[in-house]
Amino acid sequence: MRTFRRAALGATIVALLVSACTSGGSSPSATTAATAAPTAAASAVASPSTAASPASAAPTGSIASQLTLGGPPECPQRPFCVLGLKDTYGVEFKLFLPLDAGGPLSLSAIKSGLVDVGLLFSSDPSIQVNNLVALEDDKHLQKADNLVPVVRNDLLAKAPGLPDLINPFMAKLTQEALTDLNKQVTVDGKDSKSVAAAWLAANGLTTGGTSGAGIKVKVGSTNFYEQEILGEIFAQVLEANGFTVERKFQLGNREVVFPALQKGDIDILAEYAATALEYVNKGAGEATGDAAETVTKLNTRLAPLKLTALAFAPATDQNAFVVTKATADKYKLQKVSDLANPAP
Amino acid sequence: MDGITGAFGWLTDPTHWQGADGIPTRFVEHVELAGLAILVALLIAVPIGLYTGHTGRGGALAVNVAGIGRAIPSYALLLVFFPILGFGLLTPLLALVLLSIPPILANTHVGLRGVDRETVDAARGMGMRESQVLTRVELPAAMPVMVAGLRTAAVAAVATATLAALIAGGGFGRYIVDGFALQDQSMLVAGAILVAVLAVITERGLTLAERRVVSPGIRLARDPDGERADDAV
Repeated sequence: MRTFRRAALGATIVALLVSACTSGGSSPSATTAATAAPTAAASAVASPSTAASPASAAPTGSIASQLTLGGPPECPQRPFCVLGLKDTYGVEFKLFLPLDAGGPLSLSAIKSGLVDVGLLFSSDPSIQVNNLVALEDDKHLQKADNLVPVVRNDLLAKAPGLPDLINPFMAKLTQEALTDLNKQVTVDGKDSKSVAAAWLAANGLTTGGTSGAGIKVKVGSTNFYEQEILGEIFAQVLEANGFTVERKFQLGNREVVFPALQKGDIDILAEYAATALEYVNKGAGEATGDAAETVTKLNTRLAPLKLTALAFAPATDQNAFVVTKATADKYKLQKVSDLANPAP
Repeated sequence: MDGITGAFGWLTDPTHWQGADGIPTRFVEHVELAGLAILVALLIAVPIGLYTGHTGRGGALAVNVAGIGRAIPSYALLLVFFPILGFGLLTPLLALVLLSIPPILANTHVGLRGVDRETVDAARGMGMRESQVLTRVELPAAMPVMVAGLRTAAVAAVATATLAALIAGGGFGRYIVDGFALQDQSMLVAGAILVAVLAVITERGLTLAERRVVSPGIRLARDPDGERADDAV
């Protein structure tokens, strides 16, 4: 009997041992904040949780110093993110929270207010759909990833008028236009062909041209819907001018599609200026925040490959610092540099 | 191999032992999450297991239903709960609780059912009430099997608590997720080592606890050779 009784107490002891493991019963609600947002907030040195850089003479009392930034986990050590914000804008946030690269975590963290400022991609339709505000990158911290068509030179030799057909539409492809095209495909579930057709019609595409009669063009695209929409735009513009177009979409990623362009499996491809430049120059770091400069350098690098970048669109697909409308209104935020303003 | 050597360099760097991203902070976060999950799982699974084990009713059903929880990957559970529960402790906690219940429930049930029927009958014959039969006879006798279930659950919870970092949570998983994003092999491997070490410590700790809570009489009766009674499941 005595042994049984002692052992029965054991059950209680096990439970106690395990509860002791929960580190002195700190309250779960406090942990919710602490787990997600390490408690650096309270410390005098308000350095981002995973940043290697020590917080130096930060403009204390800036708007940013009261806000939490969310971004991909590598953000604290990347020039486009925490490092660049500090160096280029003099902006330092109260906290950094590691999320994902412009994906669903970032979006819900911004929407739920877990972070005040988050990183999304500038052409992400979620920005428009959720009434978020992308802060203008007024000091060009982000590399200029403007949409730009890249064409094989042998096609240009056959059809010297081709740039004049496509360039006007690239000029009309604003950020709002691109975001809306993306939204129609990803949110509204329309197909890229009809979405592109409607946009081209609204922007004055006239059919019945004959300048491309007898010329075959293979339009390529990666698996990314945005590039496919652009591919449709190229294809339909060319078809309207008498070209015979073959669509080769969903070919894979850049590592597949770009070599296909070089080999002549495709003739034209929608690219992103800065990313394409750094791909072609093998990460030499030539891309800047200036689109014209970046495309010029891109063309220098493309020339030996017998490729040409046409006119770039105003629309970009690059990192954008995003806030909710409420946050934007509260702190009067329009540009990234506004984050350095004194807090109200 | 670079990762391993790098990881030891990383682990011995004093800057990694302080601050909001330091190992002590991440340790507390990790233990908090895993410990809380085990506690909640115990509170749910042990009473059910005691009931089904004592009465013999609904045991197979309970064990099978709980087993489904074990079959669904915790990663999937995490992503399923995320849109509903959002950021914070609750989402990974729920995923870990569902992971931890099956071994505890199954071992509690099986442990109780495994108690010699003649002993139980003798206890009743002595005039014990049902509650006394449970607490004084069945529970002590089932304790080694129950603790084995707890040990299985705790080790799994410690290892799986790394997933919390995927939804912006803390814990040692932070080093693994951040190490991957930063392509910092040393940080990544160091995180994995920390998790593994913590899991081993948990395993050994609960084995020691088992010696304490299991009556010497039971231990001797079960393990005449001095070997540990091990997992029933």
